[in-house]
Amino acid sequence: MGTRNVFFMFELLFWPVVGVLTIGLMTRFLDVTQEQRSFVLIGQMAFSVVGTCQLDVAYAVLYDFWSKSMKHQFLAPIGVRHLTIGSWLVGMLRGSLVFALTGILAWWAFRFDPLAAGLPATLALLAGCFLTAWIVGVLVCTLIVLFGGRAETAAWASINLVLALAGIYYPVSVLPPPAAAVASGVPLTYFLDAYRAQFGFPAVYSNAIPTGLALAVLYVALSHLALVAAVRRARRTGQLLKMSE
Amino acid sequence: MLAIDAREVEKTFRGGWMRRRQTPALRGVSLQVEPGAIVGLLGPNGAGKTTLLSILATLLLPDRGDVKVLGVDVCRNPTAVRRRINMASGNASFLWSLRPPEILAFYGRLYGVSGRDLRRRVDELIGTFELEAHRRTPYNELSTGLKQRLALAKSLLNDPALLFLDEPTLGLDPDVSVRIRRVIAELRRTRGMTIVLTTHYMREAEDLCDEIAFIKGGRILARGTADALKRQIRIGDIIAVRTDPPVPAMLADAQGVLRCVASDGWVECTVDAAEKRLPELLRTLHMEGVVVRGIEVREPDLEDVFVELAR
Repeated sequence: MGTRNVFFMFELLFWPVVGVLTIGLMTRFLDVTQEQRSFVLIGQMAFSVVGTCQLDVAYAVLYDFWSKSMKHQFLAPIGVRHLTIGSWLVGMLRGSLVFALTGILAWWAFRFDPLAAGLPATLALLAGCFLTAWIVGVLVCTLIVLFGGRAETAAWASINLVLALAGIYYPVSVLPPPAAAVASGVPLTYFLDAYRAQFGFPAVYSNAIPTGLALAVLYVALSHLALVAAVRRARRTGQLLKMSE
Repeated sequence: MLAIDAREVEKTFRGGWMRRRQTPALRGVSLQVEPGAIVGLLGPNGAGKTTLLSILATLLLPDRGDVKVLGVDVCRNPTAVRRRINMASGNASFLWSLRPPEILAFYGRLYGVSGRDLRRRVDELIGTFELEAHRRTPYNELSTGLKQRLALAKSLLNDPALLFLDEPTLGLDPDVSVRIRRVIAELRRTRGMTIVLTTHYMREAEDLCDEIAFIKGGRILARGTADALKRQIRIGDIIAVRTDPPVPAMLADAQGVLRCVASDGWVECTVDAAEKRLPELLRTLHMEGVVVRGIEVREPDLEDVFVELAR
């Protein structure tokens, strides 16, 4: 139990805490204003939440892939949605813990209060993070089911696309126009924009929450269909069995 | 209603560049299994046994053919099939950091068993498969035999009407194999479970199965009870002779001898009819001055049938 929990605790505590500490200390070194510090800390906290939750969604397939027990999962009378929703619920729980821990740390070490935006705005940000995590996590599952071990690095690499595009450490307005256009297709961009607006930053998008939500729902549906199609393809090609050998 | 009704099933695996390399695995296989029967699928490596089993267990989609398991189409409604079947493989693997009761509880939940029912079922299976002493051992520290027993225990979580066993005694010590065979026989006797198993072991098939299907090159070459297969294949009788000096060539040339194989000082001759050929062979050996040290006459066993079919 102890050995298993070391891994669990490490993932839950280490990276998020290190992330908030290093970013916070960097802002202290650069002597930025408290508003600018809040801006990047919000981004860092959201990034940690998305990262933790998306890994949990990806674990729906990854753990079985690593232990070569994939076929037992797909032999059970459950649908793809049960797998992803189940692991997403666990991811949301762990993501909420990460948000609380990093929030306490940011408040204690850098005088940033994430709840100053009010509960509805905080819940909206968390919803955006969790929906983004679902999309990234399910896409990682899809890639693993399609390509097996070759796609394993996607589990860790894919989240960095969000980091680069969704305006985690900087406003999307500083991105080159083509990248900014891509960023406007990432739901998390809108949720971050709306949350930061509560801290006095000028909003880039009007109707940010409804737009982010609409995009997220669209991507959730598309990523689910992609995973269902990938599993069907794996049943046709024998990939499901290969991943259990 | 048949437990399994598979007709003209075809499956080809594609690989390589642009998926151009084709490996036919099943070429029009039909298999009907009555409820409560134990059917063995025998055949050499790459014959298509596991492919057929995987299609029946909904893990693989056929290219062509109709497959109904317990009256339900495996392609159209796999979830309904999965509720009533289960599978254990000889090379099964589970989440490596979990312990036997945790593994059983995890899969039990996937089959909709929960709460007190789940705990009772897990305890019962741990007891049945003598895993009590290993309750706290992580999966990756279990021996092959224990892993196999756990795989069998997991396959009974949902009390399936149809159980697929893929090489259930592969790589096990003889005493463990015997115990597992006893459990399989018991399952049919006490629960009326239909069981389809693949195996390389003729003894296992002969001991357990009501019916045996020989698969080779993606086709079922022969099917029936062990005795019926021996009669059906008509490979003749076997006369094994130990002589001084060994004279396999002389025996091979004798009339009525279909085939001769020499090993460990014995020469095994497959003859068309032992009662007719035995006196002739002994007479020939005597006339040539060869001393006969031992002689054995027997009917071909399932292994001989397998060798004949696998040629």
